Parts: sequence; C-alpha cells; structure tokens
Amino acid sequence: MALINLPVFADELLADFESLGTLRVDTPVIQPAEPFLAMAGEDLRRRIFMTESETGESLCLRPEFTIPVCLRHIEAVTGTPKRYAYLGEVFRQRREGGNEFYQAGIEDLGDTDTAAADARAVSDAMRIVANRLPGRHLSVTLGDQAVFEAVVGACGLPAGWQKRLIHAFGDQKHLQKLLTELAHPRTVGVFGPEVVRLSMDGLLEDEDRLVAHVAATMEATGYSTNASRSPEDIARRLKEKMELANTRLDRRTLDHVAAFLALDVPLADAPAALFAFAQKSGLKIDDALTRFDARVSALSKTGAEIGAIRYRSAFGRPLDYYTGLVFEVELAGSHAVLAGGGRFDRLLTLLGAREHIPAVGFSLWLDRIEKAIASEGGAQ
Amino acid sequence: MTITIALPSKGRMKDDASAIFERAGMKIVAVGNDRSYRGRVEGADDVEIAFLSASEISRELGNGSIDFGVTGEDLVREGLANADARVEFCARLGFGHADVVVAVPEVWYDVDTMADLGDVAADFRARHGRRLAIATKYWRLTQNHFSGSHGIQLYRIVESLGATEGAPASGSADIIVDITSTGSTLKANHLKILTDGVILRSEACLVRARKAAHDGDPVVARIIAAVRGVV
Repeated sequence: MALINLPVFADELLADFESLGTLRVDTPVIQPAEPFLAMAGEDLRRRIFMTESETGESLCLRPEFTIPVCLRHIEAVTGTPKRYAYLGEVFRQRREGGNEFYQAGIEDLGDTDTAAADARAVSDAMRIVANRLPGRHLSVTLGDQAVFEAVVGACGLPAGWQKRLIHAFGDQKHLQKLLTELAHPRTVGVFGPEVVRLSMDGLLEDEDRLVAHVAATMEATGYSTNASRSPEDIARRLKEKMELANTRLDRRTLDHVAAFLALDVPLADAPAALFAFAQKSGLKIDDALTRFDARVSALSKTGAEIGAIRYRSAFGRPLDYYTGLVFEVELAGSHAVLAGGGRFDRLLTLLGAREHIPAVGFSLWLDRIEKAIASEGGAQ
Repeated sequence: MTITIALPSKGRMKDDASAIFERAGMKIVAVGNDRSYRGRVEGADDVEIAFLSASEISRELGNGSIDFGVTGEDLVREGLANADARVEFCARLGFGHADVVVAVPEVWYDVDTMADLGDVAADFRARHGRRLAIATKYWRLTQNHFSGSHGIQLYRIVESLGATEGAPASGSADIIVDITSTGSTLKANHLKILTDGVILRSEACLVRARKAAHDGDPVVARIIAAVRGVV
C-alpha cells in the first residue's frame, strides 16, 4: 500500500466525475476567510484554521469547496451552465476524525431546468457512493425549503413572522420555540419607554413624522454620519414589530404547520402525501407542489433507486443561501453522512455574481466512505 | 503537595482579593519586596501565591499550572471552552462586578430584545450588503449567546480591544457586546441594553482548576471552606 493519504479510490472517483461530463477544478488551499464567515456565520470561525497575511488580511485553510468553486466561476466569467467537479483536501477543527481530510463533489451552476438539475445531483451522489460500496444499501433523506416557505406563506402570517419561521427552518429547536410563541404570545412584544412616548405623541401612526423624529434624534446624538440603519429602516421595522406583537396563530393553523412538519414518507409517496395535506388544510401551495412533483418525476427518470429515498418535511439547513432541495446520503442503518447537498440559488449573487445563477451541488465525505468500505471488509 | 493560588497582580482587584484571604485567616505576604510577583500565606508552608494579570489567571487555570485563581468569571468563561468541565467556581467574592451585555444604539426604537435583533440580522445583508457587525472582545460569550441561546447566526464579530462603546457611532460596527458596571458609559454613547441582553453577571470568583490530585487533599478543602466562610 502506498504511503499517501489520498483515498485509495481517488482514481475511480475521478473516472466517475469524468463519465458524468463534469469539468475538474482545483482552488488554492489558502483562501480569504471573509466569504466563508460572511456566508456561514460566526460559528464557523471556531471550526476553521485562520491566519493573517502580512498586510492583515484574514486568511484561512480551505474549509470546503463550494464557496471557492463559485468564486472561481464568478472571476473566470466563462458563462453558464457549468458542472464542476473537485477533489482535494479540506481543513476543519473537528471533534471526531482528523483535521485535514479529502472532500470531493460536484457543483452544477446555471442550469435553469431546476427539477432536472436537482434530480441529477441526487442521483449522481447516490451513484458515486454506491460505486464505492457495491452491494450495500443506501438511505437518502430529502427535504425542500421551498415547500416549507410555501406553507408558511399560505398561512396568512405577517411578513415579519414568515421571515422568522423561514429563517429558523432546519433548526428544530428554534422553530418549535417560535411556533409556541405564536400560539401563546407571552407578552405583546417588548417596547422601550421611548416607543411609549412616541405612541402618546401620535408619531407611530404617522410614518413621515416618525422618520423625521428618528432622523432628528440621530442628528442630535451624532450617530447619523455612520448609521447603518436609516431612519426609514427603523420606522418600517417598528411598524412590522407592532404587527408581530399583535399576531396570534390560531389553533387550526398551528395544527396544520405541525402536521406538515411531521411528514416523513418514502419519496415515491411524498407527492400524494403533500397533495393530501394541501387538501385537508386548505392551504394554497400548488406552485411549490408542482415543482416538487417535477423533481420526483425527473428523479425517477434518472434511474436512481427511488425506494431508498425518504422525504422529511422538516429537514433543512438554517443558512440563508439554501433555497430548495437538501439531501443527505447515508449507509442504511448508520448515521454517518457520506454525501450531502442541496440547492443554493442565492449564493452566487451573495458572492458577487452580477446575474442570478441557479446552483445545486453535493459533497462527498471521503474519509467516512473509506471507513464504510473498511467496515464492510471487517464484517465479511 | 504545594497548592498554588494566583491573585490579581495590581489595583483594586489585588487589594480586595488580599482582604478576603486575610479575613479567611490566610494573611498573604509578599516574598522579597512589595512589588514581588510571588507571595506566601503566613503560617502555611504548603500554599504558594503567584501574582498574575487577571487574564493570565484564567489561562493558567485552563492549563492547570495553578490550583486556584481569583479572577473575573467573564474572563474564565471567555478564555476557556467548556469552562465548567475544566474549572470549578468555588465562591463568588462580592467585588469586581461587571455585566457582559448586548447593547444597541438607543435610536433603534424597534429593537429591545434578542428576537428583534435576530430579525434585523436576518435582513441585514439584503438591506446593507453586509452582515450585522458586532464589536467585542468577548468572541466566545457572544457566539454562545447569539448562536447557542438565540439561534442568530448571521452576524460578524469585529474585534475591539478598547473603547468598544464608540464603535457604533464611528461606524466600525453596528452594535456591541461589552462589560458594564453602572451603564453610564453606554448611556453617554447613546446605547441601550436589550431586555434579554445580559449575557453574564460577572464578579470576581475563587476558581479551582479541576485536577484529580485535588480529590481528598485537605489543603484544597481547607482553602475552599475558609474563603466560603467569609463571603
């Protein structure tokens, strides 16, 4: 056995990527840290290896490939659609496993046929994992942020509440807390003494006067020159907050949301289950369901083993650039995620692309796949 | 075995800590001259005193090179991951009070709770082209409070090592996480504390590094009991 740490199946993996018609890319190991922190949030800071350039720029060791591949795509201006494949080392501080390990994956940028592109991502991921683990059963979990957004939208909640719920999607605990709050509002919202004064002066009903008052206060306190939030922002959000405080989710709607979040069915049965849910609840979510159905039928055309996939309505990732499909591939009966992916239509514009570029992709956890292969050897 | 206690090396904290130990029957005398960084307890040869800066004390507790330390709870919780697993807060000493708080500009009339801040943070990038920026030197406490307790992920920390209260007005950050004891500096800078924005009510504590060797050590037990008896 060669004394290198590249996964033993690296060559086969690259051959798979090539047969799938992807373009292989590499990116520098040392990356600017800013885009990762800006996209994934401050929590990432503890999990990446950061350093500084001589000029004080924050740098990090590549913690993943999606952002560097997308940045590269934006810089290269080679046009879309493009399907990129990568294989290389990533660096993260992990509780389990080493701090440097190989990751591979495919990023599919710019295909406007989202149902087909989603289906291809899921089936490619399943196929590649299955090729490494012949004869083993995979289990795939699939979720869809867009369906949840449609359900929340159809419930008739004020915009502020919709935003809160959508933002919490994928974070079970936080979402549950918000729903409980909606059902039993503890207080009518917390408003400071200044707001009470504004209300007595009748400023809250008159947006123009309110904006003028906020602007004058900013001026008087020397805050205005560098203020990030404008008087208009503050006045608008104050109005939104009053709406939030006055909203109560009725029992029936809350039951609908709870019933939706409890859906966990084989993907083949999901379109019927969602249709039945829409019928029973009376919520208008037809557009999202049409797109969901289109993805399921596209997926069955790819020849992927649909029986291995379950749809779980509450499955999502609480990051604001994920927009639709999310999925994870595991070995049946284990909880180690071997491949994970999803649709991130908002990422490229957030990273600075001028036009909207739909995107879907997945990454493969090669060290876990190696472990799964080894466990098979041990079992035999 | 000799037990090492680290005390703050200067200022009010040093005087207050020495006073507590004296009341507890452990009069501390400097070894050599008054400015020395080493001391001992009168009549106790098995106890050594090291005078260190408050932030050094939390670090040394974390790596176990001292047995006890007197320092602010904020510094220990900020300096050490999983603080409670690595150290024991034996006694709260009643001085060095400071709250670590989340404060926003007073003129943000729409923001009084962390939930409000979460709403603002969620929209921030779409409206202003960047994440909500928080000036602080308390990275860990901020992350735990925002992500752990309130599900807020979308913000950026801007490191600030001094005059943090001025950051919102100068435009280097939108809000701050900082310590305050009376709130007067916040007020002077037109900032307000969120109603659920108190991350930690800190004060000086007697802190023990968790070491297996401490189990059943009579000196360790005696020190804890003596200090607890006078606070």
